[in-house]
Amino acid sequence: MTEETPRSSPENPWPVRVVSQKIGSWIARLGWIWVDGQVAQITRRPGSNVVFITLRDPSADLSLSVTTNRDVLDLGAPALADGARILVHAKPEFYPARGSLSLRADEVRQVGLGELLARLEQLKKLLAAEGLFDPRRKRRLPFLPGRIGLITGRASAAERDVLMNTGRRWPAVDFRVINVAVQGTSAVPQMIDAISVLDRDPTIDVIVLARGGGSTEDLLPFSDEALCRAVFACTTPVVSAIGHETDAPLVDYVADVRASTPTDVAKRIVPDLAEEIRVIAQARARMWRTVSGLVDREQHRLDSLCSRPVLARPEVIVDTRAAEVGSLTARAEVVFGHRLDGADRDIAHTTARLRALSPQATLDRGYAIVHRAADGQIVRTPDAVAAGDALRIRLAAGDVAASVTEPAAREPAPGAGKTVATDPAAASEPAVNEAVPADTSETGAGEPAPSEAAVAIPADPIAGERSDATAEPAGTTTETTPANGRPRRSAARSKR
Amino acid sequence: MAKTELSYEEARGELATVVERLEAGGTSLEESLALWERGEELAAVCQRWLDGARTRLDQARERRAAEAGG
Repeated sequence: MTEETPRSSPENPWPVRVVSQKIGSWIARLGWIWVDGQVAQITRRPGSNVVFITLRDPSADLSLSVTTNRDVLDLGAPALADGARILVHAKPEFYPARGSLSLRADEVRQVGLGELLARLEQLKKLLAAEGLFDPRRKRRLPFLPGRIGLITGRASAAERDVLMNTGRRWPAVDFRVINVAVQGTSAVPQMIDAISVLDRDPTIDVIVLARGGGSTEDLLPFSDEALCRAVFACTTPVVSAIGHETDAPLVDYVADVRASTPTDVAKRIVPDLAEEIRVIAQARARMWRTVSGLVDREQHRLDSLCSRPVLARPEVIVDTRAAEVGSLTARAEVVFGHRLDGADRDIAHTTARLRALSPQATLDRGYAIVHRAADGQIVRTPDAVAAGDALRIRLAAGDVAASVTEPAAREPAPGAGKTVATDPAAASEPAVNEAVPADTSETGAGEPAPSEAAVAIPADPIAGERSDATAEPAGTTTETTPANGRPRRSAARSKR
Repeated sequence: MAKTELSYEEARGELATVVERLEAGGTSLEESLALWERGEELAAVCQRWLDGARTRLDQARERRAAEAGG
């Protein structure tokens, strides 16, 4: 039959009956299925066995008609009411009379609360496994949101709670409220729409989903899988505030922040202005204290560094050195003074020694030293001179000139020399060429003074040394002179 | 100071070093004087920093007082 019908065209359109028949036969080929849905509306016609049910998808704004009869309903779902979840065994059917499609059900089962909860448990596991509850996926709420999107029931206690408590904490708060059905069949689609609208609004920094308390069934939309996924997909942070503290619909697990009740929302989404002002004032005061304390402390450190003597009294750098120089100078003076004193003492001592060793003392006692005038040699033996040799005789207080009158030949003994005449007047006397003891010379004190007396005190130490050397033989000869047995005549005259 | 000014911490650290070296002694007169001059310079830098910090604090305090008053 279908094959026989020619292609439709404006010239050759199909009559309605043909189209209706074709659709009906197409739909008739579909088989029996199990359908899960929510009762949006149930119509029992009085006097009719037929019952019409509008079956709705809980998550989406879609519905199908279901046709069944009272017997079927009484068997599986007695007292079926709007909003109930049902499981239907049905076959799609086309009603040519009205051109409508419906599912003809031969079995209807009402889904009980226990089963619903069991399903939620399963869904919860599934969503958890997918990571929808993962704490790492949670977004942080802004400290102070610019604008808050609120999804809640119209004129609900939840709405009032959220707006009032939030405004109390932060008066400048700004809301964009979208009122939706928060229970019933249209709740989920409306809420998903609202989330989508608010998520697209760039002024919205946080979205609040709020609903007051209700029965478990009433809160079922908040455990809807599609809603959970919408909340998860939302880029704006979402706060859930559903029912009471004890209620835990699945959307609570997906939301970025869960407020236990609508009243609790305010604390989660806005800071407490008074508290913040207090904290800021406190922080400011602490900051002042810290910073000025820091500056004061640093000033103190700097002062203590600068007051150290090396910096505070830099003249110390020079003064210490000046003191060093002064003390060194003083020491040098002391040391030099000591040296001078020592040298003085040395000189005095040496002079004393010199004086002690000088032949002068011997000469003072009356001895004399005889020199050959020609060469200044000391005459120790008579052989050293010949008659007529000029002599020079050194006395204690000066020299006299003399000449040898008689060369010595009588005395073989060494030391016995020629006779020396010191004086023309004493020329006949045997002369002693060596010094004679002083006491002996005293005897000749009365004799005339030498005419050629000359003062010849040694003028310098060198002369003294030399005189020192000549004094020895003088001492030796002193003893030999008496042995000669000659008359004691002094050859050397003293002025005394 | 011709070169870029030292930070407060740098200046204070160097100042402390200078003082220690001066106190330790053993430096020549010329070195000592150079160290002392450096020390004075560093102390001046430190003081400038602290004065600047204090001025800024005072200004902020005045501004705040003005705001609170107005």
